[in-house]
Amino acid sequence: MKRRRDLFVGFLLILPALIVLGALYVYPLILSVYTSFTVQGRYGLTNYVKAFDIYWRDIIYSVAISFATTVATLIVSVVVSGYLRFKSWKFLELMYKLPLFIPFLIVGHAMRVFLAPHGTLNNLLTRILRIEELPGLSRSWIGLVWAFVWIMTPYATLIVLGAFRSLDSAYIEAAQNVGASKWKIVIDILIPMCRPSIMVAFILTFVRTISSLTIPIMVGPASPNMITVNMMFRVNYFNDWGTANALGVVSYLIVMVFAIYYLRFMAAERGGIKA
Amino acid sequence: MRKLCGVMLLIVAAVLLAQANIPIKVTLTMMVAGDQNMVDFFQYEIAPEFEKLYPNVKVKVVGTGPGDAGSQQIIQQLQLEKDSGKDKWAIDLVVIHEAGTIWAIERGLIRPYTDFLTTRRLVTMKTAEVALGVNVNGYVMPMFHSQTAIAYNPRFVKDPPKSYAELVEWVKKNPKKFGYNGIKGGMSGVSFVFGWVYWKSKNPDVLMNGPFDEKYMEDWPQIYAELKEFNKYVTLTAGNAGTLDALNRGEIWMGPVWVDMFYTWIREGRMDPNIRLILPEPGMPGQPMYFAIPTKAANADYALKLIEFVTSPAVHAKYIVDKFNWYPAIGVEYVTPHLGKEVFERLYRDIKEADLLKFGKRMPIADYRTRMLEAYERWVEK
Repeated sequence: MKRRRDLFVGFLLILPALIVLGALYVYPLILSVYTSFTVQGRYGLTNYVKAFDIYWRDIIYSVAISFATTVATLIVSVVVSGYLRFKSWKFLELMYKLPLFIPFLIVGHAMRVFLAPHGTLNNLLTRILRIEELPGLSRSWIGLVWAFVWIMTPYATLIVLGAFRSLDSAYIEAAQNVGASKWKIVIDILIPMCRPSIMVAFILTFVRTISSLTIPIMVGPASPNMITVNMMFRVNYFNDWGTANALGVVSYLIVMVFAIYYLRFMAAERGGIKA
Repeated sequence: MRKLCGVMLLIVAAVLLAQANIPIKVTLTMMVAGDQNMVDFFQYEIAPEFEKLYPNVKVKVVGTGPGDAGSQQIIQQLQLEKDSGKDKWAIDLVVIHEAGTIWAIERGLIRPYTDFLTTRRLVTMKTAEVALGVNVNGYVMPMFHSQTAIAYNPRFVKDPPKSYAELVEWVKKNPKKFGYNGIKGGMSGVSFVFGWVYWKSKNPDVLMNGPFDEKYMEDWPQIYAELKEFNKYVTLTAGNAGTLDALNRGEIWMGPVWVDMFYTWIREGRMDPNIRLILPEPGMPGQPMYFAIPTKAANADYALKLIEFVTSPAVHAKYIVDKFNWYPAIGVEYVTPHLGKEVFERLYRDIKEADLLKFGKRMPIADYRTRMLEAYERWVEK
């Protein structure tokens, strides 16, 4: 009897959280999937046909951009974390966190001014290199990935560096004793032993990139677009929530592929995030 | 004497009581779609003037953002009010785009009111009656008319192309020096595309006035194929502001812009004042912004007064035309007496009133409009 009462009290305690989760997350999710299958009150796959017909290229593009961003971000954050694991450098410690405190909108605007054909970067380069004209990086996929990497790196670095630092120094010292270089230690010891945390950083970066709207609008090319831009366009210009939601469901599925892979991987690694 | 005192006291008391009753505090909540200048217009110019006129009223301005997205936000808010089943809605006045107006009327979110508006009679443009081919008469009062045109930098472009046809030749000689923002970055690019379709289409009038029939779309694949070819020679910029920025930095030499935005940037010193405008043949579309009153607005009476205030000739001339560089919603002849000569010349310097009447087109009707945008996605972006 007492046990049941305890269970009930426990349930009451988590109830507020459950309600918030249900109202703000589960309900909209279900509604979004439902809307994606309805066209003017009737059920069907029309929205999906349209989404793939017009936007198949953009879907592939979004995945490619997110993947490129994630890989580049991880490389940068592993390099920074590896460095900071061995050496303390206050300046770098501060600088890599800086983008955390700058809103996406500001970054978007700064990047498009910085990377424009006659922007800050090119003005500098043309003066140094004495060239007349350089192509701008904004409005191209390189500029887009550039801006994304700039924004995503701090989060990824926080996770990776945390994992690197929490690793027992005994392993590293042992490797150093037998003469391993620092670079070799990062590759052969730190990365393999912190793989779960790096996977977390990978997935978080990927999800945040593919769901970002501000940066693609401000820095990305006019075509192809990221999925989010097309969703916005569908809603704003056509009042077409069906196709927008269909695109949304497609991006859930893309993210889900990674989530499932991650869960499997975690199970194989005997569970739990080691960070 | 005593009697007199008593009467005096009574009068004083009555006056005091009456005084106490007068200030009925009213908060007039308005939602405004459009760029930041629209919000500034109401918040910093109109609200203080209106509050001076009606000291018991406090005007609260909520901006919902540029483009149809802004209107979309307003529709969602009104829909929430409607779904709540309340008798008095918290939004008293909205300023929305043409497409938003149609959605609002379809869903019963706004009500007819212009029968009670005296300034409605001063409107000379058809936009007060028809929006995107849909009858909106009675539901809306235009706030202003805004027009798209091509801006060019005379430093690089001595003899600007005067028509779409000449522009096509021009971009081939000056690749990447014409820039527009595609269709996903704002309406100036959209307008350029609509203008392109009007130019190439055999039935531009049908596209603007209806009726809707797919047979008028038969020539579209060819039209868009040519636009795709044209796009090879142009730069795609980042949004309405992106085009102006690129013009400023000299990255592009020509590009479609909103006339009001262009002049406002020049006035604020954000834009090279030497850049000029041209409205190419056979024309580019413009659009009005509309005042509308929600179906169950709590303070519809004051909303009406505010609309009356903004559209009255003197205020219209001073704020809409002079300060914000929009084209007037009411007939030009009514605002001219209140305008300085230099203001008139500034607004009509490059684009004469006759050009505006001849080449200032309407937006296509709703059915063609969505299909034109989708056609661009299908045939040009792919």
